[in-house]
This record gives sequence, structure tokens and C-alpha cells, in this order.
Amino acid sequence: MNAFRYGLISALQAIVVFVAIACCASTVRADEAPSFSERVDLEPLGTIAVYGEGRLKSLGSHANSMMQFVTGPRKIAGQDSLFTYIDLMLRPEAYVDADLVYVKNRSVREAIARELERLAAADPTLAPDMAERMNAFRATGLTSPRFLHNAALEPLFSKLEADVIRTARPVSEIRSALAVAEPGFLLGKLMIVPPASKSTDDQWHSVGELMLVPGATTPPAALTRLVPSNGGMDPTAGIPGIDSALQGQIADAWRAFVNAWLAQDADGVRTASASLATLLPKVAEGSDLYPEQSRLAWESWYFHMDQLTSIWLVYMLSVVFLLLGLIYRWTWARRLGVGVFVVAFGLQTFALLLRWYISDRWPNSNMFEAVTTAAWFGGCAAMAIELFVRRTPMKSLFFLGSAAASMVALMTAHFLPVYLNPNISNMMPVLHDVWLYIHTNVIIFSYVLIFMAAVSAFCYLAWRMVGGTAAYARVGGAGMLVLEPGSKRARAGEAPSIGEVLDGVTMVLMELSFVLLWAGIVMGAIWADHSWGRPWGWDPKEVFALNTFVVFALLVHVRLKVVDKGLWTAILALGGAAVMLFNWIVINFVITGLHSYA
Amino acid sequence: MPARAPRGPLAALLDLFSSVWFGVILLAILFVYMTIGSAGVIYPIHPNILHKDAWVHAQMRQWRPFEMTEFEWFHWWPFDLLIGLIAVNMIVTTFRRIPFKVVNYGVWMIHSGIIMMIVGCVIYFGTKVEGDALVQRRMVFAEFLEKQPDGTMKVADRVAFAATPGARAVVGSNGTRYDLEVASIDPNWEMRSEEAKGLTAYSVNVDVRRSGNDVSTNTNFMRQLLAGHPEHTEDVIRSNDPAQPMQRAKKALGTPLVDESIRMSLDYAPQPWFYLRPELEKCWALYIRKPGESTWTERPIEGLPLYNDYVGSRDQVFTASGRELAPSPLDIAIAPVEGDPFPDLTFRASGFLRYAIDRAQYRAGAPTGPLNPVIQLALSSGADAPPISMQLEALDPRANKGQGDLIGFYYVDSEAAFAKRAAAPSIRVRVPALGVDVREDLANLPLGDPNAPFIAVQKPAADGSATGDQTGYAYRIIAVQDDILLSTGTASVAIVEVKTPQGTFRRWVFDDARLTRDATDELMKDPHAAQAVSDASIEIEYQPGLGSTPIAVIAGPDPQRLRLATLMGKGAPTVRDLTIGEAVTFPAGFSIGVANYLPRAVRDVRPFVVPMEQRDRDAGVQLAQMRLDVPGGDPVWLPFHQYVFDSALEVPRRHTFRPKLLTLADGRQVEVIFGRQRLKLPSDIALEEFVLDAHIGGFTGEQSTIRDYTSLVRFRDASSDAWSEPVRVSVNKPVEHGGLSYFQAQWDPPDQPRDANDRGSLGLNYTVLGVGNRHGVWTMLIGTCIACIGMGYAFYVKPLIKRRRRDEVMASLAGAAKEGA
Repeated sequence: MNAFRYGLISALQAIVVFVAIACCASTVRADEAPSFSERVDLEPLGTIAVYGEGRLKSLGSHANSMMQFVTGPRKIAGQDSLFTYIDLMLRPEAYVDADLVYVKNRSVREAIARELERLAAADPTLAPDMAERMNAFRATGLTSPRFLHNAALEPLFSKLEADVIRTARPVSEIRSALAVAEPGFLLGKLMIVPPASKSTDDQWHSVGELMLVPGATTPPAALTRLVPSNGGMDPTAGIPGIDSALQGQIADAWRAFVNAWLAQDADGVRTASASLATLLPKVAEGSDLYPEQSRLAWESWYFHMDQLTSIWLVYMLSVVFLLLGLIYRWTWARRLGVGVFVVAFGLQTFALLLRWYISDRWPNSNMFEAVTTAAWFGGCAAMAIELFVRRTPMKSLFFLGSAAASMVALMTAHFLPVYLNPNISNMMPVLHDVWLYIHTNVIIFSYVLIFMAAVSAFCYLAWRMVGGTAAYARVGGAGMLVLEPGSKRARAGEAPSIGEVLDGVTMVLMELSFVLLWAGIVMGAIWADHSWGRPWGWDPKEVFALNTFVVFALLVHVRLKVVDKGLWTAILALGGAAVMLFNWIVINFVITGLHSYA
Repeated sequence: MPARAPRGPLAALLDLFSSVWFGVILLAILFVYMTIGSAGVIYPIHPNILHKDAWVHAQMRQWRPFEMTEFEWFHWWPFDLLIGLIAVNMIVTTFRRIPFKVVNYGVWMIHSGIIMMIVGCVIYFGTKVEGDALVQRRMVFAEFLEKQPDGTMKVADRVAFAATPGARAVVGSNGTRYDLEVASIDPNWEMRSEEAKGLTAYSVNVDVRRSGNDVSTNTNFMRQLLAGHPEHTEDVIRSNDPAQPMQRAKKALGTPLVDESIRMSLDYAPQPWFYLRPELEKCWALYIRKPGESTWTERPIEGLPLYNDYVGSRDQVFTASGRELAPSPLDIAIAPVEGDPFPDLTFRASGFLRYAIDRAQYRAGAPTGPLNPVIQLALSSGADAPPISMQLEALDPRANKGQGDLIGFYYVDSEAAFAKRAAAPSIRVRVPALGVDVREDLANLPLGDPNAPFIAVQKPAADGSATGDQTGYAYRIIAVQDDILLSTGTASVAIVEVKTPQGTFRRWVFDDARLTRDATDELMKDPHAAQAVSDASIEIEYQPGLGSTPIAVIAGPDPQRLRLATLMGKGAPTVRDLTIGEAVTFPAGFSIGVANYLPRAVRDVRPFVVPMEQRDRDAGVQLAQMRLDVPGGDPVWLPFHQYVFDSALEVPRRHTFRPKLLTLADGRQVEVIFGRQRLKLPSDIALEEFVLDAHIGGFTGEQSTIRDYTSLVRFRDASSDAWSEPVRVSVNKPVEHGGLSYFQAQWDPPDQPRDANDRGSLGLNYTVLGVGNRHGVWTMLIGTCIACIGMGYAFYVKPLIKRRRRDEVMASLAGAAKEGA
């Protein structure tokens, strides 16, 4: 038991040190003079709507999704994505040799690094510090567009493109990144001018189309390089149908913005941004085409705050206190853990509701949303179950399971945005169905319960490893709540061991997830029947959902027969969670199938 | 202790099947079976199992001994047996070990629900058919009306062809011919006439070219057909107005139709078939017919594989280096079926390739064989750069240039032809009346600039030099285009704007002087006019020389001789002899060498087996090929057809029609197509309209802007031969008809022209509907619901019942104790 406690304390100490370092990191540069990126206030831009891929989104959200094509999950020099977007568009020369383009695939990264090192060995003028830069590239995945544009890399790219299974896609992503990083492309995608028709069926216009429209100011020479070709049309003609005076005002504000940006004038940028934010909605005045500015502001803030995924830190704190409460039976730690959990859950609820408000749909249509919403369901389940078990030895353990699940889910979303893309995009046509909300939510609810059961199962196994006896809950699952209070042992005032309590928690969660998983699979079959024409297609995702159920069916029956019920329950609960995670991770990202969007 | 009575085998079997452990083992096997069938297996291929590359992932069911789809793997007899054992185990255990009491209702419901679900599955999967049907939106029906001696018009010829951009057809008779081509389709054409203003219609524009013995009636116009609005059919003709180059015939000529002899209309393209899905279950078929017949006879092919390549010998295919296929022949009989046009003929499938494309390679021909120079060049951009290999064919104008026309390979049959080819591109201007004859290298002239100054043609002095005296003639080069592909070969042209004392005109000067013509309105009308030049006082010749290829390898007149001609900048090209293996380096570090040269190459076309890593996962079986042994004939590789059309006129975009005509030993001919099996739909289906719903901002060409796809389809009532009212089939909203469900599956997206002879498309010209039956679904659903209720009962109701009973017992005990006290 002591070894268990010492191990746990060491882990908790490491976590506290990590949190302290994370908190201090932001203060390291406090004594340096603020750069333009730190001085400039992009908040006024937050209420500008941008059209992209069939959605109207905030400028911040738009920049986030566009920059993801270029920089992947990385931030360039710690800059906000919106700053990088604008700066790259208006001052591309500053990024020519900057490590800007993210290469995700490690083998492609390595092949490029080797080739560039070989080229630099033959021609040192390419980059005198190539070895150093390539080491950084290998570590971060970021490299310079200048290197990637080098014609000498073309044979390598052609060779990699020939392997369509392994390396063609990463090369295609590199080419896309280089294309997106072009200033003209970025300007073209800055579709912030509503259509003159004010109709939802018509496309918005790029602000570039107003670049040379006559106004109170004349366009700076630096802008001419960004003027779109406009199909041979007169670039000063503007957009037909929009009041020419208003176009002139918008053009003036945009030119002022560009000039201020080029001059690194933070105040000028703020003023011009505010003008743009005021003028652009006037184009759609009289219609409800332009989104509410409050919604846009919230959206910008939401993405600026990394989708509030940092809440994982609060959950981690809750896990620490709840574990202390479990191991040492410290009431204060348990209560504190519950309090912190409630705060974390409140924050997560806020993040979920905010995303719902911003995207105008319940968040469960991509991996980011499925994972974070599942974690939130875990919190809901924990709150509800804890109401029933508040007077039993199981109290707070459901909070522990949920806190661990939410912590892992939000950490994954925070640190692996490449896999859990947080951007809000339109749903595929097949997802526009009420069963998306029924089937998906029931399934992900069952999945989070499986994970929570795995947490208690893990704790049970840890307890057994440090000398715990082969204990198990005499009446498993919900029966424990119903039957235990009046049992002989309860009447005798005998307290159950930790092992019995943990096994009981596992069984409560397992039973609930068993029913929900089966119901979710059935609901998926009903949806598949009217969507794909068959209720069951032996798609890998379907098969592994069924496999997860089979593992729990095994658990139920094995528990009937074995002597060491607690041990086998814990092992199979962990096995079920492993199959569930395999289904969510490997099947989704490696083995594609009909559910590849899920 | 009494001796235990001996137990019979039936009792032992019952014990086994009522054992929970037996059920657990069966469930564990089921888990393993499903995991292997769905996710595949991972196994080491190297002793160092800690290295990540030591492990390989494979789908076991796709291995040669199995060749199974997921559907087949999960309906293989071991799986059926496993499910059967589990069902029997559940039934026996339930009856023998679980008393039918209130507390056990949950388990009974779970087990009986699952049994019911299994029964539903047996019905469902035992009767399952699933496929898809491609339904085109419209066909173009064209009729040629010939004037009869009595003055009436009679249909002399008719043709129907797909309304898809680029579709071509010919109609006509007695020396009159109409070449028809669908030039464009607008799925949402805004109608302009007063009475139809605000409405949109499916518009098909057909390019009509009439040619015939009487050249005066030759004409070219565009006919616009509107689906559902035949009364608005009208022609559009070219006009001289630069502001409106195309004009409605009604406006220009006062009549909506230019030519009443050609009648066209749009009508539905009924689809009577749906094709089974090979992803579900192998469903290969060979379709055969006699030449000239319009319908196919389907012969199912049983036992043909799906995932792996099978060849009888290595020389049947081309493979990538180091990827040679081990011979593994097939021998599958494709026997005649009822009503077969060749009841005496059994074909055999002897090979199968999952993913192959036809590729031509050349080998050396006989020394007296026909001339066909083919060269293999090795290019390198630097010492460290990997060489690029390139194959050029001198006699094929589509394959005699490489690297974006930087390098050309030509054959000349005389030294004079060589001198002409290995020259700088030049233009020769002659004004015979004034004795002017000048030649100018194009390198010295501004090209392609319509505003370039005219070059004055000056009078020559006695020694031939220009005097500076103006002649009133001048010219400038507007554009140059070399090696244009014509039906008769290739031609090069310089478009020259000519100024004469009489005026200015453009002349298209071809390297073949017979093609040269002036671009005046009069002369452009008739491409076959005897007089092509409006002003014969000035003669212009264009000699393309090396043309657009600054580097040319020229073979001939001795077929073994190769020469390299290079033209860098101005002046005459540099010429040098070239030998095989020799590399010539250019000043920029670029080098070119001849790796191989075959003067009398023989073309050898075989399927090239694409290496696994280069295969597009989404291609499915689209590039599969089957080798067919023909009795008395040569074996042939047959490409897979997604759909089997009756003729090339019906083929929509992105689909192919490549039947092969085989000649048997007895001289009979048979036309064959390799495809998938098909079934008759309960009633023909037609596509009225295809609607794309978009998100805000409309459809931009990006998939993410699409919200829904909807096909408005009609079903034909066989008894009355009438079409039903349009029915909407959209994503998640299938339609049931005649015992089958119809689902929205694929669509026709807009796309760009695929080559110079193709036309772009705005899409929406066809839909693909999933078609399938679904027997037993309700049995499955009820079973699963019963099981679900049972789970809730067992986990949450049973404890409450037990507690109530315990409380009752406790209360009665307490009561008894009280009474006792």
C-alpha cells in the first residue's frame, strides 16, 4: 500500500511542477519591449464576418482554419493565427525564410531534411546553418517556404507523390500549404464584403475587389501587387450593385488598415479595424444576412482562447485532490476535489454551450466535438450518479472517473489539434439527420462511461497490485445501490474495502454503458438503414462497436463464473475500454470506412 | 454414495450447450473472428520485433486463399456456424438454467431478443441484393427529315445520344450528314421569353454541322433544347457583330430554326437495370452479343477473385521493376446461359488483375519491318540530380515531344527534309509584282503581340538587299502554333496580319501551303472553298523548322542515324551526330543522352500492374481486368465496366464503353464486355431533375458547400406505360418502390475538359441511386429492442424486485418476531 502511495505522491509532485512551469512560461518575456504583434489589438476585427466554405464565420475563426493549412498546429513566433494571416498577406517578405510551413508526416519530413542537407552540402549558399535548421525542422515540423519552393526538391516530391498510400498526401498538403501562404490567395479568401443581393444564395466578395475603388484616399503603391486579376475587369469598378459611396468608404478603411499595418502602427490598425467592422455590415443592411456581431465576437474569443481546452488543467487539479481523498481518506481533499470538479464542469459546460451558440448546432459532428462532448456527458453522468451515491462509500469516485476522462479528452484536443480539428465547418449532407443527434450522442455517452469504468478498474488493479485482497462488490452494479443499504453487512455497520467500492463503481458504469452501447448500436443501424440502405454493413466502425459490446458481454458472463470476480471485471473493463479506444483512434485514422467522417 | 447414472451423448451435448463457459468461449472466438475480418492482422516480418518497420498490417480475408469482402467473410460458413452455436447455447442455457421467473424476465428478454435478431439477420442477409443504378437526366433524340418527291417531309434517319457535354452523334442520309455534338448543358438555364420569365430549365446546346454534296447548304449552328419546353427550341448562329458574336436565329433570320431538316428533342433516359455491388459480394459477369445486336446477354462468372493479381505467365503483363508476378493462372469456365446467342461457346477466364492500366512498350522489330523510330532519352538537370527518363515516338505527333515541348523527336526521309527541319523558324514574304522576296527568322520578330508595329515590305535593290522604298505592303505576326493535330496529320501555322494597298486582313499561313487561307468573313464560311486567299498579290510561306522545340533529335534518312539539332537564341541551329549512350551537356548544366533507340520499334500493349503503393484507394475495381481465353482465338484482357451500356452513344461523363470484338476459329464474331451482374428493376426509372441544395453562399464547387443532393425520379408503370409523378430521393430520405428501396448515392459534379477535344461540364446530368431490398429488418429491430428492454430490466428492475421481496421477508420476520415476543 505504501509503495502505491509513494508512487502516487511522486506523480502528483511531477504534475504540480509541470503546472507551475506552464503558468510561469508566459511571464518569461515580460521585461522585453513589446513587438508589433503584442501591441496590436485585433479585437475590433473579431466582429467582422468572413464567408468560407458555405459558412459565415468570424475573422479569427477563419484565420485559424486557413493558417492550419500552413502552420498546422503550430503558432509562428507565438503570434495569434489572425495576426499571422494578415502579416503573411501584407508583409510576405518577412516570412520568405521563416519556418512557416508545417510538415506533419515524419518520414516525409525526414526525406525533405536529408535532401535539403544534401543540397546545402553542394551549395552552402542555400543556408549556411542548414544542419541546425533541419534539426529544428525534424523536431517541430516547421520549415521555410524558400526551401520547399526550391526546384531541386521537385524530383523528391515527384517520387513521394508516386506512393499514393503513404506519402502522396503529405506532399499534396505541402503544395496546398505553399499555395495558401501566397498573399494573393489569402486576400482572395478574405471574403468579408456581403453580396449586393443580400441573398443567402450568393457568394460574398473579397475585400481585394475594393482595393482600388475610388474613395477619399488613394491606394498605396504597396497594394498594387495584391490587386486581384478580376478576370480582366476594371479593378477600380468595384462590386456592381453596392452603393459606390459605401464601397469608397470601405476601400478607404481597408487602405488605412493596410497602411497602418505596413507602418506597424498599432493605433492606426485599431482605428481602421473598427471602421471596417462598422462599415461592412452596412452592405447587408435591411436583411438578416450579416451575423450578429456578438456571436462573431464570441467566436473570435473562443478561438483566441484555444477553444477553452485548457480546462484540462482544472480537471487535473480535481483528479489530484480526488485521488488524495481516495487514498488517504482525507475529507478536505475529497471535498476540494469535488469543488474543483464542479468548477471545471461549469467551465466545460460554458465552452460547450458557447460552441453550440457559435456553430448553431449541437457539437457532435466531428472528432473534436465528439471527444469533448463525450467528456461533458461523462460530467453530467457523474453529477447525476453522485446524487444517488452521496451517502454510500462510492461517493466522489464517479467525479474522479469523469475528471480523468475530461482531462484526457481536453488534453488530446489541446495538444493534438492535427487529429482533433477544432474548426467549425459545415456538416456533410449525410449528417443532416435527427439520428445524428440520437445515435451519436448515445454512442459517445456509452464510450465515456466505458472510459470512466476503466478509470475505476485501473484504480482497482493498482490497489490489487499493492496488496489489496481479492474483494468485489457482492451485489454488482445498480443493485449495489438498491440492495446494499438494507444488507446484513450494512445493518452491522461494516464498511466495505476500497476494492469492493472500486469494483462496485466499475459495475455501475459498466451496466449503464452496456445498455447505452447496445441502444446506440441499434440506433445507428436504424439510421444506416435509411441512409445507406442497410442496417448493418460490417463496416469496421460498426464491427468494433459490436466488439466492444462483446467484451462487456464476456465480462457479464465471466463474472458469473470466476472466483476472483473483481480482478476479471477490472481486466475486462480495461479490455473493453481498449477496444473502444481502438475503434475511436485506429479505425478512424488508419482504417477508413463508411464512418470516416465520424 | 450412489453411483452416478451413465450419461448419454445427448445429455452431454445438452450439458455442453448449457454451459456458461462454452458461451464465453464462443463469444471470445466471435471477438477474434470479427477483429480479424474487420481490422485485419498485424504480424512481424523481421526478428527485431521492436523496430516499427518490423510489423506489417494485412487484411487476412483478402489473401489469395480467401479473396473475401467483409460481407463474404461475415457470411462464410465458420461465421454462420459460430453464430448458430451461440444461438443454440443461448437457447439451451436459457431453458435449462434460467427459471422463467419474474426476476429473470430480463435475461429471458435479452436472450430471446438476440435470438430474434439472429433470425432477422438470417432473413435479411439470406435474401439481400444491393446495387446501384445510373440514371441520366435526358437523351437527345435527333431525326433527319428528307423531302419526298411529293413535297412531304419523311424521317430518313434518327439517332439518340446522351445529353452530356462532348457527346457526339451523326445523322443523315443520301449524302447529307449532320455532325452533332453536345456543346454545353446548363442545368439551371434562366428562360428569357416573356411567358417563361423567371423560370429555369435544363438546357442542352447541340452544335450542329451540316455537310453534304451541295456545299451551298453547308452550315453550322447551335440548337438549344430545353427539357419540358420543346416549344422554346431555337437555333443560335454566329454573327458579324463583335459585341454579340452569337445571335438567336429568330432575331437574325426571323425564324427560330435555321434548318428544318434536322429535328431534335429531349426525352427521358429510362434505366431498367441496377448493377450489383462487388464491394459487397463478388458479382462479376461477362456480357456477350453478336455484332450489330443492341442488347447484351449476361453470363455470371463464379469464382473470379477480387483483390489479388493472377496471370498465367509473366509475359502477359508489364510490371514495375522488381515487382514481377509469380504465375498463378486461373481456369474459370464462363458457360452459356438460357437464351444465350452462343449456346455452344464456353469462354474461360485465365487471369485477373485488380488494378492495371494499359501501357504500350516498344521492342525491336525485324530489320525489314516497318519504320517506327522510338527513342529513350535520359535527361539530367545536374550532376547530383536524378535522371529523368523519357520515351518519344517520332511518327506519333501526340508522343513526339517532351518536357513541355522543350525536346522533340522527328524522322526525316531525305537530307532536304532534314535541312528544312533543322532550321530556325522563319517566314518568307513575296510580292511577285514588285520582285520582293524576303525571308525573316521569327526570332528577330515580335511574336504574339497584336499591337506590335507592322514590318514594312521594302523594294529590293539589284543585289537583293532592301532599298528602304516602301511598297505599301507590311505584315506582323499575331501568333504561331506548331504541330497542330489534324485528322490528316499535323500542321504548323503562323497567323499573319497583312497590310496591302487595298486594306488589312489576316492570313493563316500553314507550312503546307495548300491549307493557307485568309480569315475574311467570306472565305471563312466555306472551309472547302477552292479559293482560299483573297489577295494573291502577296505570298507568304511559313517554315516552322524546329518549331517550338529548341532541342530536337532527328532520325533519318538512314534509319540508324541520329542527329541533335539545338537552337538557343537567334541564328541557325547547331547540329551534331548523336550515338546511343552518349550524353550531351548544355552550358546550363542540363544534359541529354540516348539510353535506347529502336528505328523499327514494334508496339506491344499489355496491362501494366500498378504497384500497390501507387493505387488509389477510392478506385475500387474500376481498373480491374480479366483475361479471357477465346476458343480458337487469341486471349484478350478485358477492362472492367462499371455499367454496361448498349452503345457508345449512351455513355455519360466519367464512364467508358470499350467492348472487344473477338473472332472465333470458325469465323464467327462475338462482342464482349466485362462488368458486374445486373438485375432488372421492378419498373424503369427516369430522372426528372437533380437538385443540389447548398449552404449559405451557394455551391462554389467545393464539396463542403453542399447541403443535400436530391434526385427527382419517375417510375414507369409497366401496365399503362405511363410515368409516375416525380418522387424526391435525397440523402437520408430513401424511397420504396416495387419492393426495393432507392437511395441517393452519387452525383455528376462539374468538371473541366479532360483534353483538347473535350468540353467542360456544369454537371448534374445524371444521378446514381443505391438500390436494395431489406427483408427482415423489422424482425431484427424488434429483437434488438426486446434485448435492450431486457438489459434495462435485468440491471435496474430486478434489484428493485429483489429489494421489495427482501423487505417483505424482513417485514414478515419482524412481524413474526413481534408476534413471538
